[in-house]
Amino acid sequence: MAVLELVELEKHFGGLPAVDGVTFGFNDGEILAIVGPNGAGKSTLLKTIIGIHPATSGTIRFSGTDITKMSTHRIRKAGIAMVLQTPRIFGSLTVRENVVIGAMFGNPKGVSESDAYEEADEMLAVVGLSSKADLAIDKLNLHEQRYVDLARAIAGRPKLLLLDEVMAGLNDTETASSIELIRRLRDRHGVTVIWVEHVMKAVLSLAERIAVLDFGRLLTSGDPQVVMRDPKVVKAYLGGKALPDA
Amino acid sequence: MVPYVAVAITAVILSLVPLWIGDSRTLTGVAVSGLLFACYATAFNLIFGSTDQLFLAVGALAGVGAYTSAITSDRLSLPLPLTIILGMIVAMIISGLFSWIAVRRSLGIIFTGIVTLTFSLAFDNLLLGQRSLTGGETGMVIDAGKGAFFRGQIPPYYVFLTLLIGFLLAYVAIHRSRMGWAFRALRDDQLSAELSGVNVAKYRIYAGAIGGAMLGLSGALWAHVEGFISPATFTFVHVDVQVLVMLVFGGIGTLLGPVVGSAFFTYLGEVLASFSQLRLIVEGVLLIVLFLALPQGVVGAIVIGITRLRERRKGLP
Repeated sequence: MAVLELVELEKHFGGLPAVDGVTFGFNDGEILAIVGPNGAGKSTLLKTIIGIHPATSGTIRFSGTDITKMSTHRIRKAGIAMVLQTPRIFGSLTVRENVVIGAMFGNPKGVSESDAYEEADEMLAVVGLSSKADLAIDKLNLHEQRYVDLARAIAGRPKLLLLDEVMAGLNDTETASSIELIRRLRDRHGVTVIWVEHVMKAVLSLAERIAVLDFGRLLTSGDPQVVMRDPKVVKAYLGGKALPDA
Repeated sequence: MVPYVAVAITAVILSLVPLWIGDSRTLTGVAVSGLLFACYATAFNLIFGSTDQLFLAVGALAGVGAYTSAITSDRLSLPLPLTIILGMIVAMIISGLFSWIAVRRSLGIIFTGIVTLTFSLAFDNLLLGQRSLTGGETGMVIDAGKGAFFRGQIPPYYVFLTLLIGFLLAYVAIHRSRMGWAFRALRDDQLSAELSGVNVAKYRIYAGAIGGAMLGLSGALWAHVEGFISPATFTFVHVDVQVLVMLVFGGIGTLLGPVVGSAFFTYLGEVLASFSQLRLIVEGVLLIVLFLALPQGVVGAIVIGITRLRERRKGLP
């Protein structure tokens, strides 16, 4: 069953289509990677879903509700969270306080401060940063700051998590731990993950389905091993050179 | 508890000031003016320091409160408390409207500043033009009988001290509430705040409206305590520039920054009163030095110092 449906979704910037008539259904509980060359509209698609960029036309339905015209904070409360490529942290707050904000405001029911602290500690434990909860956020490295961002996103228990190139700039160990964490989030917390990524190794080892975008249009979608061998994908994205077996 | 203790200590120190300045009417007047500016700076701190909205209409909003209260009490003979509340509400609505416009039109700090500065200048012209209602350039005297409550029974110093302590307590209460969490989030990163579920537009409008109400109340009280108001009392140069300088000196976004800033510049103004040109030069040089040495302001630097000391004691990196 599709938890998120896009119908003829378009996003234009000054007449230039960044997302061009995308119709697609995202299944409940899956980990889906969106790949494509630079400028294909992958990040724009995620930002349009979460309401950062208002859609030019088309419909976005989440769990049956039309969220096309909703503002970002309302979409968050409705159950969709997003982590951007560059960690967007609250610089004057501690690690724990950063997550408290997500727990307090991300939950549609409205959470008290003490409950938000409790939830924040729980989410920091999920991402393995409990020992650094009291540190100022700027004391953490990029990888850890992304985890704080992720903890803040999953606080408030969203149903759907949008990840925008969260593995960019990470070393092999950090990438492996990120893969493990995303898989754990889905398995234990039932979160559906839609994930834009360039690190193909990570995509092939984690994604259960792949959607390929090119010039804002959906080129193809399906099983990662099959899709990455599709001649259209090989030509558009991989420069005519197929990937080796994962 | 720490912020409330800080407010209590501030209240005790400021309540002892009249003992220090004695019977001097001039010095008492200066002290009252210092408290008024601390009230303005606290309100501005809530709007700008908490939510990054550069309202260059502090004087104008206080003027809206003052003239609304003065005109409704003088011309319509409404009861004094009602006219003060009216002044506060009108300033609150206008200020909330500024925030709403800034949010709707996605105005950044600079454009919000330009829009509010335009209002400031227009308000000044309105006061000058509506001579029959406002007395124009010569100002208006507010009937002594209606203001007797403030002028006769409670010394003006304590009227404004009570107001300032009330504002500081409100500031603490707001920053310890859900609204305070939202303010901290949106001030640090607006997009991230939205992504976390914070309704940035709503909380900006709240800050604008509450700060505007504080300014309107300060202006309305000033009108009745002084018994006289004129456009010069609320001009951009006379109020906004001073408030900005005081806040930058004390520390934007800190609880006691506005009080420290206004106390320092009120004292400095008095010390250099007989050297009017020198005063401006000293203030200017001081500001440049402070911007370079203490960009977070005096209180901000102290808070950072204490935090680092605590971290070191805890053994944190």
